Amino acid sequence: MKATYLATAGIAAAAVVLTGCSGGSDSGGGSEAASCTNTIVNTEAPQVTVWAWYPAFDQVVDQFNNANDDVQICWTNAGQGNDEYTKFSTSIESGSGAPDVIQLESEVLSSFTIRDALVDLTEYGADEVEDQYAAGAWEDASSGDAVYAIPVDGGPMGMLYRQDIFDAAGIEVPTTWEEFEAAARTLKESGSEAVIADFPTNGRAFNQALFAQAGSEPFVYDSANPQEIGIKVNDEGAKKVLDYWDGLVKDGLVATDDAFTADYNTKLVDGSYAVYLAAAWGPGYLQGLSDADPEAIWRAAPLPQWDAANPVQVNWGGSTFAVTEQAGDKELAAKVAMGIFGNEEGMNLGVDAGALFPSYAPVLESDEFATKEYEFFGGQQINQDVFLDAAAGYEGATFSPFQNYAYDQLTEQIYAMVQGEKDSGQALDDLQASLEQYATEQGFTLK
Amino acid sequence: MALVTDTPHRQGGQKARSSASRNRARNGGPRIGSHIFLLILVIYFITPLWWLTVASTKDTAGLFGGSGGPLWFDDEFHFVSNIQGLFERQDGIYWRWLGNSFLYAISGGVGATILAVLAGYGFAKYDFRGRGAFFGILLGAVMVPLTALVIPTFVLLSSVGLVNTIWAVILPSLLSPFGVYLMRVFAQEAVPDELLDAARIDGAGELRTFFQIALPLLRPAIVTVLLLSVVGTWNNFFLPLAVLSDPLLLPVTVGLNGWQALSNAGSGGEALWNLITTGAFISIIPLIIAFLSLQKYWQGGLSLGSLK
Amino acid sequence: MATTTAPTSSPSAEASQQGKHRPDRNYRRRQRWGWLFVAPFALIFLSFLILPLLFAFRMSLFTNTLASGTDFVGVDNYVKAFTDPIFLSGLGTVAKFALIMIPAQMIVALLAALVLDNLATWASKFSRLMIFVPYAVPVVIGALMWGFLYSPRFGPAADLFNLVGLAAPEFLSQDNIFGSLVNIVTWQWAGYYMIIIYAALRGIDPGIYEAAVLDGATDRQIAWRIKIPMISSSLVMVVIFALIGTLQFFTEPQVLRGVAQGAIPVSYTPNMYAFSLAFSYSQFNYASAISFALGIVVFVFSFIFLFLTRKQSGLK
Repeated sequence: MKATYLATAGIAAAAVVLTGCSGGSDSGGGSEAASCTNTIVNTEAPQVTVWAWYPAFDQVVDQFNNANDDVQICWTNAGQGNDEYTKFSTSIESGSGAPDVIQLESEVLSSFTIRDALVDLTEYGADEVEDQYAAGAWEDASSGDAVYAIPVDGGPMGMLYRQDIFDAAGIEVPTTWEEFEAAARTLKESGSEAVIADFPTNGRAFNQALFAQAGSEPFVYDSANPQEIGIKVNDEGAKKVLDYWDGLVKDGLVATDDAFTADYNTKLVDGSYAVYLAAAWGPGYLQGLSDADPEAIWRAAPLPQWDAANPVQVNWGGSTFAVTEQAGDKELAAKVAMGIFGNEEGMNLGVDAGALFPSYAPVLESDEFATKEYEFFGGQQINQDVFLDAAAGYEGATFSPFQNYAYDQLTEQIYAMVQGEKDSGQALDDLQASLEQYATEQGFTLK
Repeated sequence: MALVTDTPHRQGGQKARSSASRNRARNGGPRIGSHIFLLILVIYFITPLWWLTVASTKDTAGLFGGSGGPLWFDDEFHFVSNIQGLFERQDGIYWRWLGNSFLYAISGGVGATILAVLAGYGFAKYDFRGRGAFFGILLGAVMVPLTALVIPTFVLLSSVGLVNTIWAVILPSLLSPFGVYLMRVFAQEAVPDELLDAARIDGAGELRTFFQIALPLLRPAIVTVLLLSVVGTWNNFFLPLAVLSDPLLLPVTVGLNGWQALSNAGSGGEALWNLITTGAFISIIPLIIAFLSLQKYWQGGLSLGSLK
Repeated sequence: MATTTAPTSSPSAEASQQGKHRPDRNYRRRQRWGWLFVAPFALIFLSFLILPLLFAFRMSLFTNTLASGTDFVGVDNYVKAFTDPIFLSGLGTVAKFALIMIPAQMIVALLAALVLDNLATWASKFSRLMIFVPYAVPVVIGALMWGFLYSPRFGPAADLFNLVGLAAPEFLSQDNIFGSLVNIVTWQWAGYYMIIIYAALRGIDPGIYEAAVLDGATDRQIAWRIKIPMISSSLVMVVIFALIGTLQFFTEPQVLRGVAQGAIPVSYTPNMYAFSLAFSYSQFNYASAISFALGIVVFVFSFIFLFLTRKQSGLK
């Protein structure tokens, strides 16, 4: 630490020399409110800094600040996903600079709890609000008895499809993966320019969700016992699903484009894919792109199943609010984390202006949300038809404390498989080996 | 340095050289082959920028498949509405980013140049204790990749409360070891010791000698170092990405990259392609204009400062 | 390396100065002014380079795994780095880039500069500027733009290749990504190198090759026998810039990875590996070691290159 002091002195000197009389304006970093994107309504009240990238979040913040006299949100959009995590990570390492409350996707929560960066919210009354949230989303935000975040939005999965392309090829909407494969063949034989869907090698959480539908449980991890982890990424469920998609890829029935690139977006809207296997936030995303082709007719249906008699619902994505260990007033921060979207006004704003799929039960289970008609889907009530069932059936998942590494490796292995370098079983076995080795190197005991 | 030992001869040669002598050295005639070669090069170097220009006139739908194809304008011309979009999106934050880039590039560039001129002169004209060692460390330090520095720099800045302020970007960009190196090399050749000694004999102090004798002689190299540091700071990406969290402080490179991430994100993402292409187009205009209008200065500067 | 040769020129300068002044107290005292001139820079240099470097070096001597605490391990991280297949394969990748990309840039830059040096038409002046213009585009913006251009649907490649009746290659596939990256870098930097070389060429006194012209030497002979040898030290410096930049290759592949995650793995180059170790996997200590290990490699390669070209560069 000696280096730090020396450096501090050096920098302080440099700063004084170079900035001259600038002193006084900066309050000294840390979790002090430096500058907020929003306007503070009640300047007397203590402020809680929040990092988040939700669409239309400015409205939600204003609503919160107007409704609360005793606390104010000071909001910053510190970047989307990994950009924000990079900053958070740097702040954790250097011991300062993190906000009080931070938006994190559920899948990265363990990656931060293992670094002691997040506060267990049960101390601050989180367990009392458990029944206000969808069970699966709550499960994703907790680990054992601890609750590390308050769920905000989820991504229960469904299938968005092009009715016009299906009709042209004479395809019925598939309800099982068997029917899905048959539909893919029919589509190809019909001479259509479209393939049935894309199987992105960089699908990460998407791929993992598909595996989970066949019963794959890749990780066993409880943050109460942080040195132990169970890894089984090559279990039966995962192998079954990847083998299925490998077959589709080899037969040329699906595309293998990287997801969410400009190119992928083009293909999503120009009829290159007949189906978009999507999470509940997918419709909002699709609408943002869709003005390219007014002829397209989109509809939503439940995700195909392996066993129609025993449907399994899965989730792709979803985010939460966590309280950081660097928070000045953790109790107040916890109050904000629970309060931002934990009321109908806030959540409704998120749903209407930000196209979020809520985890907050009073909104999720409201008639208004269920019967909401989506013009883009020809007036279909897609929540009632598809996503509410998917959300209700989702039971939660466990993520590893090195989820980013696991996803990066998954991408590499699936890419190698798609390139024909190895078969699906080998890809998953190699993934298992690399994750086991990594976990051991990182000091974990394998269960 | 040994690298520039022939500089004085060359400067003499340059003065003596007339366009006539140069013309004689060439064997005349418009050269078809050379021009075709140049034409191919120009097409190669310009086509991407042409694409960007065209793309900035399209809306998102046009980008994904407009009537004109990727390399020509669509029937609909959306440049103005894209500009409007840049003004509307988050209250015109894009223009704020552009302004930040200017602020960082100019203050960082000017500051780095001042420090480099002083230091280069000091290294070149004074034989102070530790000079050799310092200069050696300076050159060796350039070899270490910047990724190694981000975390410690963040720690240091945060310990003095400068993280997430403009100083977090400006102060580190004052560092231009390469600029010092250029200035030293140049000052060694372009500022004769005899001239300095003469000034001293006339009773001028060291500072006055520097300002009145040395500084004017260093002017060409100053322009070059200024240009290189302005470009360097304008390009800055990694450091601001790490040390700034307030979107109002970002430079345009980081801001646009953030929009790209937002467009590439699935959950909670928004497709902003037309704003990205238009924003990128506008952001490269200032430097291109600066280069084109200042070419007289930097072309001369580069020939002197870039080690011949 | 220049590091070690920099001071070598000073003894002679010193000797000549001492010859004139003798090392009297005035002379000695005056030399202290050097520190005053260097001091502002030194302050920044210490604050933002040396101290962070020391700090990072210290970090690299420790280990901190996810599940256990921080331990001092000395050079273990470096031993690990130089036996780490991922780091070594990253080094292999940048070595391959160095072998292909640097010659590609140099050939384009040198040819363009030689052609431009022979011409004085408005077209040549215009070309000179246009070739240089990509340098004014920030690297990140340039890489984002090429990401668009390489997209089969979004970009113009399909149209352009259709003109000549060919199918556009898949620029972002595993097989082609290498060439696609070489192209981005060449596009971005060749113009800058061209200007440096061109400036050096303009610095040659034409009188030197007038005789050769009178003897009927062709342009090619003059370029090869006279011009290129005369600017060899500029060429060496340009290659050194390119070499250091290539071994630290980061921004372009990192940005392009956004549209080609399969073809460009996270650890594609050593610098990307260090970045992902630090920021995606929270292994800051090992990441520091990787960065320093890369720094050592850069230093060694630069040194070898300068040693091999010591005749051309004029360095002893």
